[in-house]
Amino acid sequence: MSACIKMITSIGHQDSFLKENCWEHLVPLTNETEVISPDYKSYIPPASLRRFSPVLRMALTAAQVCQNSVEQPFDAISVGTSLGCLRDTEKFLQTFITATGDTLSPTAFIQSTHNTIAGAISMALGNHSYNMTHTQNSLSFETALMDGLLCIAEGKENVLVGAADEAIDFLNELKPTVISSDLPFTSGATFMVLQPQSNTNSGKTIVDCVVYFNQDIENCIDQFLANNRVDKSAVELVLNAGNIPSNIGQKQIEYQQYTGLYYSSSAFAMHLANDFNLSEGNYALIVNHQQEGKLGLTLLQ
Amino acid sequence: MQIFITGLGAISCIGQNVEEHLDALLAEKSGIKKGIHPYSQRYLVGEIPLSNDELIAQFQLKVGGSRTGLLACVAAKEAFSGHAHHPEIRTGIISGTSVGGMDISEVHYRNFMENHTHDVAQYSEHSSGNSSERIAQELGVGDFITTISTACSSAANAIMLGARMIRAGKIDRAIVGGTDALTEFTINGFRSLMIFDEEWCRPFDESRKGLNLGEGAGYIVLESEKSRRISNSVALAQLKGWSNASDAYHQTASSPEGYGATLSISEALKVAQLHPDAIDYINAHGTATPNNDLSESKAIKTVFGNSIPPFSSTKAFTGHTLAAAGGLEAVFSVLAIQKGYLFANLNHKNVIEETQLQPVVKTTKVERVRNVLSNSFGFGGNNSTIIIGEL
Amino acid sequence: MSELKETLKTQIISQLSLEDLTPADIADDMPLFAEDGLGLDSIDALEFIVLLESNYGLKIADPSQGREIFHSVNSLADFIEKNRN
Repeated sequence: MSACIKMITSIGHQDSFLKENCWEHLVPLTNETEVISPDYKSYIPPASLRRFSPVLRMALTAAQVCQNSVEQPFDAISVGTSLGCLRDTEKFLQTFITATGDTLSPTAFIQSTHNTIAGAISMALGNHSYNMTHTQNSLSFETALMDGLLCIAEGKENVLVGAADEAIDFLNELKPTVISSDLPFTSGATFMVLQPQSNTNSGKTIVDCVVYFNQDIENCIDQFLANNRVDKSAVELVLNAGNIPSNIGQKQIEYQQYTGLYYSSSAFAMHLANDFNLSEGNYALIVNHQQEGKLGLTLLQ
Repeated sequence: MQIFITGLGAISCIGQNVEEHLDALLAEKSGIKKGIHPYSQRYLVGEIPLSNDELIAQFQLKVGGSRTGLLACVAAKEAFSGHAHHPEIRTGIISGTSVGGMDISEVHYRNFMENHTHDVAQYSEHSSGNSSERIAQELGVGDFITTISTACSSAANAIMLGARMIRAGKIDRAIVGGTDALTEFTINGFRSLMIFDEEWCRPFDESRKGLNLGEGAGYIVLESEKSRRISNSVALAQLKGWSNASDAYHQTASSPEGYGATLSISEALKVAQLHPDAIDYINAHGTATPNNDLSESKAIKTVFGNSIPPFSSTKAFTGHTLAAAGGLEAVFSVLAIQKGYLFANLNHKNVIEETQLQPVVKTTKVERVRNVLSNSFGFGGNNSTIIIGEL
Repeated sequence: MSELKETLKTQIISQLSLEDLTPADIADDMPLFAEDGLGLDSIDALEFIVLLESNYGLKIADPSQGREIFHSVNSLADFIEKNRN
């Protein structure tokens, strides 16, 4: 299943939003890192903006920019998020745990469902098409992408695919027991427009995306490349998270030093791959191995 | 390519397996009653009268953890029982949930807020993606796993994705459906929306006030012909049509004219290549909220015109099981076809004045049910429809 | 009464997260739910019910009663004056 990337945009801890090439301003993150927020008022009406948590603001803005870049309304929307609208989830927990009266403020509950992001996008864009939300831990972006690629294979011509996650202070409680990492918890949203492969498209092509569960990572990579008739030596750039074999890619870059820690961050790796100057005939491979037993492989040309 | 349904699994307040569900539907016996937990005892709910430990023991589950995952394993195990493991059959697990592991997180977060001590390791249960992975662990399959979280349309969307992936040749077989446990978070959430009925819910009734929540899990197994040739499984019905469309109207309410629902119903019929006349029964979303039932009625009228098929909501049996609803109702749709029944829309007295649509109020034996259309509509204007037909 | 109305405006801004508004932006008779008024929606109507209970101890059991009461700051203030002890 393949598609062209017509447009891709990210909001997060890197200064990448609306920049020509996201590599130009890339800096490794420190613990003090913060989201670089655009002027959301330019993209989101105040009636909605007042309610929206950071993840909703980032995702809506990125999606709007994507819609502005193409003439046609999207004919499918597929979003990945590993933990959804965490801030609203925590807020509603606090609301009912501390409640003394009979009534409860509903806004945080309404916005706590994972598909608030995709739903809010459909409302903002007045879009009535297929609208899906995938949440599969560290593979949330890849499964959303596979759905988007499937839509293209089925004949859709203008598909919005994206992923977003947000950090809240409470996540720090999870270190080191549940999550052992030196990376800071961060937030990010990356959205892209996928269209069928054509001769006129100048952007990168997503050749394939597959997820694997509980399989040997080296075998998976070999099989994935073989299925796509790609020689290992043609993989110029590998963007990875987690341990990977050293014998793949002329250049290996761990992307989480730029994204920080959120499970759908491989979407930003897609942005990095898209903006990378690949030599003719070469490929970029994203290897998402954030969690043991779960592997996401995405190949771009 | 035909998509066959070769397995069914269900657990809810009306039964702990598919046969018990059929018995309850035939006997018109609802499982909605006063809740047994401190957070549910104020309400009429569809609770499953088994604790987590009892679920694990009774169904000999391999894995523990969140109740959402346990319910999923029970129903998925039933659906998959008798199915072959085979290296040539690529099996996907696509499951819907809105609650995920919140049943565990809410307990520990409360400890965190009140005592400042909490068992941090327990938060690893939280993620919605876990319930699908639990099914994989329980059944020992899972070449592809994803979790759909679109609130009340999750299971229907999972079923749809399974069919699409099989048609695209990405997998040969899929265990699809949804699961949700009843939690304090959800009960308080719907309380904040003020859409509960303090009494037994009344879908499609003029006097309806709101919904009763429930919990449960419902799964079906989808197979391609290739898979069936290898597995030798028995086909029960076919999945013929599916669709998902957005209302794009409001974060929680459906558009008054049921625009998104009209789109999903029409499109599903197109995918199934069926004329509306070919539908013999509609298992409606029918949550009994003032908004949904009117909006859904209008959508049904728009698509079916003057020839509205028999329809009912089974939510007065099970309660609204959120992400599990589409899965449970897919099981009911297959039963309707297999056994030749239209299931009752319980607790109905008066039609909605504005639309005058009369649901089936008694479970009724019929000669033949060719095709069933099942609706599931979720928050965020997420409208899904699936069509199941006879072989 | 005018003190109540000023307090109400501040509470409305807070409860509904109307971060860009000040009390001066909300006229006493402005239709709160009309497009050309404040343009509030049904989620805001539920938030009003919470506001009334937590700040004034007044309960509204049926959300559909709300629209009349929450029509404007005037009608809200009237309701509170009539019903609180």
